[in-house]
Amino acid sequence: MLVYIVRRFFQLIPTFLGATMLAFLISQLVPGDFLTQKALEPNVRPETIERMRSQFGLDQPITVQYVRWMGNLMQGNLGQSFVSNQPVINRIGRPMRNSMYLALLSIFMLWAVAVPAGVYSAVRQYSVGDQVVSVFSYFGLAIPNFFFAQVLILLIFVTRSFTKDAFGFNQLVFPVAGMTSGNYLQMSPWGQFWDVMWHMFIPSFVVATAGMAGFTRVLRAQMVEYLASDFIRTARAKGLAQRGVTYKHALRPAIIPFVAGIGGLLPDLVGGAGLVEVTMSWPGITPTFLEALNSQDIYVVLGLLVITTILLMIGNLLSDLLLAAVDPRIRYN
Amino acid sequence: MKRVLIGLTFLAVASFAFAQPFVWPSAWTNATPDEAVYGGTLRIAMIGDPRTFNPVISAESQALSDYLFDTAAPLIIRGPDSDEWLPYGAQSYTVSEDGRTIDMVLREGMKWSDGSDITVQDYYIRYVLETDPDVGSNGYDGWFMDGDPITMEITGDNTLRFTFPRPDRMAFPVAAVSPVPDKIFGEAYRTGGAEAVQALWGTDVDVTTTIWPTEFVPVSFQPGERIILERNPYFGEWNVDEAGNPLPYLDGYSMTIAGDLDAALNLFIAGEIDSFSPRNLDDIGVINQAVNNGDIDVVVMESVSPVASSQFIVWNWNKASDPAKEALFRNVNFRRAMAHLVDRDLMMDLVYNGAGVPMYTNVYPINDYWVNHDVEKYPFDPERAQELLASIGYDRTNAQGLLVNAQGQTVSFTLATNAGNTQREQLAQIFADTAREAGVDVTVSAIDFNLLVDQLLSVGEDRPFDAILIGLTGGSRDWPFGVNVIPCGTNLHMFNTSPECLTTGETLMGQLFTQGRETLDTEAAREIGYEIQKVEADLIPIVYLVSPMAHYAFNSALTGYHQEDQINPLLGAWELPLLFKAQ
Repeated sequence: MLVYIVRRFFQLIPTFLGATMLAFLISQLVPGDFLTQKALEPNVRPETIERMRSQFGLDQPITVQYVRWMGNLMQGNLGQSFVSNQPVINRIGRPMRNSMYLALLSIFMLWAVAVPAGVYSAVRQYSVGDQVVSVFSYFGLAIPNFFFAQVLILLIFVTRSFTKDAFGFNQLVFPVAGMTSGNYLQMSPWGQFWDVMWHMFIPSFVVATAGMAGFTRVLRAQMVEYLASDFIRTARAKGLAQRGVTYKHALRPAIIPFVAGIGGLLPDLVGGAGLVEVTMSWPGITPTFLEALNSQDIYVVLGLLVITTILLMIGNLLSDLLLAAVDPRIRYN
Repeated sequence: MKRVLIGLTFLAVASFAFAQPFVWPSAWTNATPDEAVYGGTLRIAMIGDPRTFNPVISAESQALSDYLFDTAAPLIIRGPDSDEWLPYGAQSYTVSEDGRTIDMVLREGMKWSDGSDITVQDYYIRYVLETDPDVGSNGYDGWFMDGDPITMEITGDNTLRFTFPRPDRMAFPVAAVSPVPDKIFGEAYRTGGAEAVQALWGTDVDVTTTIWPTEFVPVSFQPGERIILERNPYFGEWNVDEAGNPLPYLDGYSMTIAGDLDAALNLFIAGEIDSFSPRNLDDIGVINQAVNNGDIDVVVMESVSPVASSQFIVWNWNKASDPAKEALFRNVNFRRAMAHLVDRDLMMDLVYNGAGVPMYTNVYPINDYWVNHDVEKYPFDPERAQELLASIGYDRTNAQGLLVNAQGQTVSFTLATNAGNTQREQLAQIFADTAREAGVDVTVSAIDFNLLVDQLLSVGEDRPFDAILIGLTGGSRDWPFGVNVIPCGTNLHMFNTSPECLTTGETLMGQLFTQGRETLDTEAAREIGYEIQKVEADLIPIVYLVSPMAHYAFNSALTGYHQEDQINPLLGAWELPLLFKAQ
């Protein structure tokens, strides 16, 4: 096993170099650079732009830029952000943490709803409940995140109008933007925790619905297959209760692919929840990434790509190892 | 509350005995001092995180930087009611006979938010840092006039002098310098050079260690969430209202960081921010609906003024690889014909739902004082356009209904604009459609913004575009003509980037630009500005389109903002010290 891990680790190095080089090359194919927009300001002199270009090293050949960047990367330095004149890690660290909060809650929501739903659908195949689960999960899959978030925001406003007329309650049941309330800093640690949770609920829910369809359908198919297998019949024959058969004997093997997929979630944790973060002003990595792309702050973009690449590679390795741990049929030598 | 107020007033009066405070005129607000109420917080949204807290290297314009960096105790300021520059950080100033030097006497009693005195050195160090190219300050270019340096020197314990190479209308904006604390910035520069200055006050700084001259100072910054600013207790010592009350009235100022303007609109409708600038009539519709439902209590000001930017079509005069097109674009009758094909009414209706104004010269309509309304406007008139095109040989139509000349050539070109800017794409398409009806073949091409800018700014005899629809922002109330735009050979002289002028009109405009900039008398300068616009309209190298309107919406409790005719994107909506929240 150890030999396998070491071997895999060494295989990661060329993959990593290839991926970063490709990312760097692509980032250079984009026309212009982050000083291009500045050139449209009527009172900025072209000499100034040229001077700044050389200060940032943007006038160097691309190979020189790459070697410099790689050299820094080897020392754990992701480079400087042009725009904020700060180390890239300062720029992306906190948004990554915020995105991770969102990802964790949405994964928890996904599992909490999708596992029972998948099991239910398998046990009560083709029942009305099964159909309802299908319809809702496909709805979640089909509707784009940012749009669903807008719909929910609208719903929150409509609810306010309703509660105001009905009970005189002119407050929003959930916040429509941001991660904390205005008086966050005055709250107790416990209050702060709940404030963030309260702000996190809607965006996490939106993210969770997107994964629901895939999860429930695969789990349902797995469960149906196992429920029809011989060892389940044996279990039933020896008089086990239905609940035990379903959850202990069928669900355990059926869940294996999902456990193995946990490693694959690693890059998702910091990779951002997508446009829902922009729609709901969640200070995650997606808005940071988009802003960096827009202003062509390439080292921020590359820094993010490097981190997600590393996490993807570690995640894949982790998945393989987890698979071996939960599935007795798999052994690495 | 009242006792506190009396206490504050007493404190202020006591200190005024030896220092003369700046009195904020009531003419700058829609309220009187006796209506004002102390307390409350102004809550606004800001799009995206601040990029730095360092005023010297800041290269952006957004709520925080506009506030902390640019309005912080400048030597001179200007109110919304007049174009006159008033001494602010300076107690008084004098301009020399030849208009080349401005002498400033510093106001006594000004303090940083840590209670220490603001000195001439604090103003001077800003100049030193901004003029060192290694510091990389965004203010660097402002210290030059046509390549000649403008200088600042300390002439006494509390006096400063600005020296200009020539008399200059842009002198006052240059002299409106804001201080930075010498004990922090100067110290860093003297010990660690430019790099040490760049390293100061990044977004990772503990904001409570930063000091400011402003009425509110940052006390907490949560990236991606909000910046909270609180009253600077020393500000009221040298800033009072007309009744002598210390300012500001508000206790705090909070900026919630929103992902985009849609999110900011949601915050406004949720009642979590006090002010929002609707982008268009759709936003206003959404706000009005919430108002009609009784969900929020806000004041909506629709179509208050045009925005401070331009939109235009420019044709490329440097196209050596296609001599026929180059000759066409250089032909003034072609360009006049194109100008007659711009249906500004249709553009305003379709793109801005009627909330726009037509634009005919390079001066933004918001700067009405400087706009020459008597220039040739080339009203929408396809028949006149066809006559003009016939006069240059395009006098017959082909089977497709396009105008052709004796050689069978059509009038066809590509009009590029930046992809993703739906309003510009619509404007381009409307022009193409009206042109097609008149027999002119225009292909609209939406390309990446940076590619578009690269094309526009390319130089030489053969540039890679036909025509571009784009806009410029940034201008001044003192001399609203771009130093990089009007003279030949500058980088935003977009239609012709060959180093020499190709027409007498361009030469004349360049001469008038320099002459006007050196004319200190405003009315005389305006006459020169009118002449520039007239010459440009005759030459018509650029066809200006329409300018959308700006809108505002405020929480009804908010008072003390500008009088309604003084609210616009150039003047802003309020003077922060005078703003308050009615209880």
